[in-house]
Amino acid sequence: MKQITLTIISFLILSLASASAAELHFFVGAGLRQPVDRLVEDFQQKTGHRVVLDYDGGGRLLARITASGMGDLFMPGSFFYIEKLQAEGKILSWRPVVAHTPVIAVAKSKADQVRTLEDLAKPGVRLALGDPKAMALGKTAVTILERAHLKEKVMPNVSVYGATVKQLTLYVAEGNVDAAIIGRTDAFQFRDRVNMIPIPDEYIEVETVPVAVLTTATNLQAAVALQDFVSSPDAIKVFENFGFLPLK
Amino acid sequence: MESLFFLPLVVMTLFMAAVPAALLFYVSPAEILRAVSSAEILFALHLSLTTSILAVSASLLLGVPTAYLLARRDFFGKAAIDTLLDLPLVMTPLIAGVGLLFLFGEKWLGRAMAELGLRVLFTPWGAAAAQTFIAAPILTRSCRAAFEAVDRKYELAGQTLGLSPSRVFLKVTLPLARQGLISGTILAWARALGEFGATLMVAGATRFKTATLPISVYLNISSGELGLALACSWVLLLSGVILLFSLKWIGRSRKRHLQAGGL
Repeated sequence: MKQITLTIISFLILSLASASAAELHFFVGAGLRQPVDRLVEDFQQKTGHRVVLDYDGGGRLLARITASGMGDLFMPGSFFYIEKLQAEGKILSWRPVVAHTPVIAVAKSKADQVRTLEDLAKPGVRLALGDPKAMALGKTAVTILERAHLKEKVMPNVSVYGATVKQLTLYVAEGNVDAAIIGRTDAFQFRDRVNMIPIPDEYIEVETVPVAVLTTATNLQAAVALQDFVSSPDAIKVFENFGFLPLK
Repeated sequence: MESLFFLPLVVMTLFMAAVPAALLFYVSPAEILRAVSSAEILFALHLSLTTSILAVSASLLLGVPTAYLLARRDFFGKAAIDTLLDLPLVMTPLIAGVGLLFLFGEKWLGRAMAELGLRVLFTPWGAAAAQTFIAAPILTRSCRAAFEAVDRKYELAGQTLGLSPSRVFLKVTLPLARQGLISGTILAWARALGEFGATLMVAGATRFKTATLPISVYLNISSGELGLALACSWVLLLSGVILLFSLKWIGRSRKRHLQAGGL
């Protein structure tokens, strides 16, 4: 009898402990690392929940979520990945957070040679783009060039394709290429070494950064609390500090 | 005593066999066929073989003499050089790649080399340079151990019999160190063939230009083409296995030849 009572008590204590302090597994697009790191630290301090941050490219995270069948929340750099999981019934709820906008980053030393999107077609300009199949921004760049009817003239200027956006950012920041189409936030991070040239609105589709609770979430209350936290107006301000733009 | 060792042997063998088996389980023969008939994968395979052969040749040219000096001579700064040569072994390849990017970039060597008409960044040469940086220390390490294991008495005997120092090296030292040199070459080649991080940074991931087989695997995983990526890795694995066996076979046939009395 005493043993049973003890078991019940310890069970209660354990379940209470897990109700008050949950551990959340949060899949986050690698490009969102800086603001999310800061926000999650705040969240942990305020709530006592523990958040395991799992950063990687959206496509690879998608593969891991599908393969593992685990995890609580997912915040990729593009809504595209949420759509894919929605089709498989793996999204409980999602919320838009901020905009992910492509820009042209130009090495400071080449600032007077590249001032507009059209300048990318000038002979001799060395451009870095993302691989159109493996990188969302690579696909975006091709779409932009197609819409601006510049693809045929610009493509011969591509001297290298990258597999990650940080790789492209490094190339342009180091001056190994003259320009690259990267995320506004990536260019913002290196704003002392690259100039940011906006791309005309008619050529771009602004990507929405969403945050979703997965159907595999183990502690729903804590997961929703984190979702609320990273999509709150205060959180959006933190994102803006790192070069993201608010959604219109 | 020895019979106790069989359990770890069996566990290890199973573990090493299980990973490729798991990979194979996810690929259909049709996908492998698609991979080996895809122009992109064939290009990547060809590029991987070319750049790794270049890297291993460069590593041999640089590594064998270096290893010989480190094994046979004492000189000022030897300990420092020795440590420096081990550095790439513990360096994350991605960081090695960033270092090479800076070195061959505009601000350092890039401009001077471009004036000589040699472009390293974003070209297959960059891939070969990255692979050499990673593979050469491995080769040097094995060769050094091999030279150290050669009994100096044989070299001295050769000299007493009137062989010039260069002939002693070619006729005595090299043949005696052969096994170590071959295994060092195998290790270095395997490493060069599978090299990813450094190559990605220096050469980029341009399909049909600088995308080696490991980079192709990465691109295909990132675009969700898991089947194609796994098929690629099988092509890579198979070429690795063929390579390993052929080099081991060369080593063995030579050994038999030696045992039969030839030198």
